[in-house]
Amino acid sequence: MNPVRVAIAVARKDLKSEWRTRELVPALAQFVVLALLIGNFGFQVDTHNASAIAPGILWLALVFAGLVAFGRTFAAEREQASLEAMLMTPASPVAIFAGKAMAATVLLVLCEVVLLPALTLFFGTPLGGDVVAAVLLATVGMAALGVLFAAIVARVRARELLLPLLTLPLWIPFIVAGGQAVQSAMGLPGSYQEAMGLLLDFDILFVVLTSLAARFVLDE
Amino acid sequence: MSRHERWAAGAVALMLVAGAAIFLYAPTDYLQGPVQRIFYLHVSSAIAAYGCFTVVLIGGLVYLRRESLVADRFARAGAVVGVVFTTVTLVMGMLWAKPIWGTYWTWDARLTSTLVLWMIYTGYLLVRRLADPGRQAARIAAVVGIFGFVDVPVVHFSVTWWRTQHPGPVVVNDALPPEMLATFLLTMACTLALAAVLIAIRYRIETLSDERMHVAEEVKVITAAPEPRMAP
Repeated sequence: MNPVRVAIAVARKDLKSEWRTRELVPALAQFVVLALLIGNFGFQVDTHNASAIAPGILWLALVFAGLVAFGRTFAAEREQASLEAMLMTPASPVAIFAGKAMAATVLLVLCEVVLLPALTLFFGTPLGGDVVAAVLLATVGMAALGVLFAAIVARVRARELLLPLLTLPLWIPFIVAGGQAVQSAMGLPGSYQEAMGLLLDFDILFVVLTSLAARFVLDE
Repeated sequence: MSRHERWAAGAVALMLVAGAAIFLYAPTDYLQGPVQRIFYLHVSSAIAAYGCFTVVLIGGLVYLRRESLVADRFARAGAVVGVVFTTVTLVMGMLWAKPIWGTYWTWDARLTSTLVLWMIYTGYLLVRRLADPGRQAARIAAVVGIFGFVDVPVVHFSVTWWRTQHPGPVVVNDALPPEMLATFLLTMACTLALAAVLIAIRYRIETLSDERMHVAEEVKVITAAPEPRMAP
């Protein structure tokens, strides 16, 4: 079986089931808008400090939306024990993992489609290609790590507790570099090019590492 | 005295020797005063923590390859001891930073990456507690240990890119006077010995608890109630 076709088939299955139920994306969209609301009341935001506060709120909202999204990636499989069925087919576990990760990335990107314009609307910060590129680059690596650890905790009792505990420390490199990139894109000091270069390096490193580890996580 | 008790006594004696060297032999720092004496154990326990997490990494890799129970027990032991040494490093560093930097905490590269290190391996210990013991916990923990080990240099590197105020490596730069260097090397050797003894003791505890679990399962099988007879 061609692993690329398996991955695409798994991703299509996940996206189709999301399209039919329309559960996760509307919930995530509402979640990020609520996070912006809380950010607005938690800080005294005005036109002078908005560009200093907005990047922080952007990453907080995105990280927690990501945790919710990745926590759900294996929920359906677990409820119907369909992961075991998928693993019994000749498809390689790495291809199945890649498909799940691709679908989760698309869902998180859909959530960003709501988050980024809402941030611009409520905080008046610029929404340019540089901000979008930084967020998208960080999403790739975060999704790879998030889905790997979602798969890891899927069979553990306290999975809701463990997923943030394991994933957040590993996401910190993406928050450091992505935070820097968005800050400089919004007019704060710091080099945008260097931050984007680092983000790209982290993406490559963690996508390779997670694909190597996927075999041990899914293959039971 | 059992073998482990003898080792423990030896490690305590070594740490007392290190303490004597730190407080009686090493000269007082001209600029920082007595606070500088924190340096010896602070850096030594950081190195010991890295050593312990290397044991976790190697244990995890060997476990994934061979499913070896011995490797998994070493990984478990290394994680507990490593978290202890990381905690010592963090607390002593904060005690040093307050008089010297004027604050307990700053988001410097080395502080941030050490905190992340601590978070990752306390998470590792939580995984071990929450996952069903046996193959599942061992596999999950092995993956967490490997990713944690990779993540720390990455965090360190990414934060160094923008900000750092932690003192650089004074030992390799030949900046220490000979008495201080001797004290440091002695403290490091004693701390590494302590770490090794702690891992050995923890390994024994993990072996015993594995055996107890095994026995408990056998007892459950033996004493399981016979199937109730169907009424005629």
